Amino acid sequence: MRFSSFAQMLRHFAALSPDAPAFKTEAHGVLTEVSYAAFCAAVETRAAELQRDAGTCLGVLCDGSLACVTEIFAAVQAGRQVVLLNEDATPDLLQAADADCLWGDGDLTEALSPALTGGVKDGRGKLLFFTSGTTAKTKAVVLTEQSLCASAFNGGALLPLQKDDVLLCMLPLDHVFGFVCGLLWGLSCGACVALGRGARHYFDDCAFFRPTALSAVPLLLGFLLQKDLLGDTLRLVLIGAGDCPPQIPAALKAKGVRVSFGYGLTETSSGVALSLGDDPYAMTVCPDDRITLAEDGEILIEAPTCMMQGYYKDAAATKAVLYDGVLHTGDLGSFDEQGLLHIRGRKKEILVLRDGTKIFLPDYEKALLPALQGRDFAVTEQDGVPVLILCGSEDEREALTAALEPLMRDLPLGRRLRAIRFVRSPLPRTATGKIKRWAIQ
Amino acid sequence: MTRQEIMDTTITIVYECVPELEGKPLEESTVINTDTGIDSMGFTLIICRLEATFDVKIPDRQWKKLYTLGDVVSAIEKRLK
Repeated sequence: MRFSSFAQMLRHFAALSPDAPAFKTEAHGVLTEVSYAAFCAAVETRAAELQRDAGTCLGVLCDGSLACVTEIFAAVQAGRQVVLLNEDATPDLLQAADADCLWGDGDLTEALSPALTGGVKDGRGKLLFFTSGTTAKTKAVVLTEQSLCASAFNGGALLPLQKDDVLLCMLPLDHVFGFVCGLLWGLSCGACVALGRGARHYFDDCAFFRPTALSAVPLLLGFLLQKDLLGDTLRLVLIGAGDCPPQIPAALKAKGVRVSFGYGLTETSSGVALSLGDDPYAMTVCPDDRITLAEDGEILIEAPTCMMQGYYKDAAATKAVLYDGVLHTGDLGSFDEQGLLHIRGRKKEILVLRDGTKIFLPDYEKALLPALQGRDFAVTEQDGVPVLILCGSEDEREALTAALEPLMRDLPLGRRLRAIRFVRSPLPRTATGKIKRWAIQ
Repeated sequence: MTRQEIMDTTITIVYECVPELEGKPLEESTVINTDTGIDSMGFTLIICRLEATFDVKIPDRQWKKLYTLGDVVSAIEKRLK
């Protein structure tokens, strides 16, 4: 069913099937269910409290808990602008999003509080997700509860969940794939969402919650498969947010699990195409969306119900990618004879890792410059991880590793260079000096 | 518990979690992802095993700051004191 707000969605299922479980969570080691009626009431109560406060823009340090989900829905219902953040949130991000109040971990909230701003005047219904987007800088993408609900509807229309389904949400809620495909997809179908318990429970969440459906990034899925942690109740897996090696869908199919790939961007409120048939890489465009290809194969998206309002306070960046209602994605694709979309790569210099992290390569290489001054090098992706390709000899490995160490220490593990590979010939470049990444083997 | 004992246990757990590293020398200066090829999921598994073994909790935010095996040992050592 199509909903235009979170409140409408919750009230609908609270009236239709009040006792049906909306969430499964863990409380003191015990599996606990929260019904649609109870969750809807909790959100309404909290929204009423928030309406009495003066805040206008709430930054939520997402921890994936039921309290966190309640706070997000309540703040939206109370008319606040909501900014989805993670534990790496910085004062810059808070200020960029105009947050004037914070919810989340006490220590982090306290540390970030000095950065709070004077708030906003027109934030009602807006949810801001930070993304590296299709260009270099991290930007706040302005979505709305309508666009997010529409995206969930699109997903549910192609891949419906039933009331007795349990969708396990292991993805971060500050990522639009996690928010829509880990949370809203389930709720908009009236199914039950099991709230994963974080990284420490990647190993036993499936056994604990016994999900029938799961949204995941390739890195996590590969790990769960390798360790045989998916359990025996799973019937459907939605994969998104990163390139996926074919071994993963093959292994899932061998276990009798249906596999679907999703393609979408934060700018389109998550997925705009999903695979439904035997070939997980051949995707059907979602009902509300239209996809065409530019002459060079760039994927162009029209998504009137799901498109972002723009990058927050950045009209120039918005105009650079979204004009005449069409989003220029920077991704390359093609259609097969059945009209199904296949992703072919990226036009822009973005590396998408298997955990969904994006790296804008020119910026990454610029950060390496002080350590690699005067060297001919490039960063590329091999097997889903960043690798440094450098013209030089193996003898230099130790010195280069030491030179790069201060920078690598400051990066999260997944973003650090996994390897240095030496090549003898200068790196291939265009006439204007840009690296021909596709030509680097 | 001495630092060397923590290091020895850490190395044992790394070998158990990543059997393909068996035979590869691991030391304090070993860089987690470049020298061992351990990805973020594998590292999560190792940290969880270490936390359970030493009965300590390393905050999630600090996991990301760990660069070498020596850093891991220091994080455990600090919480054992």
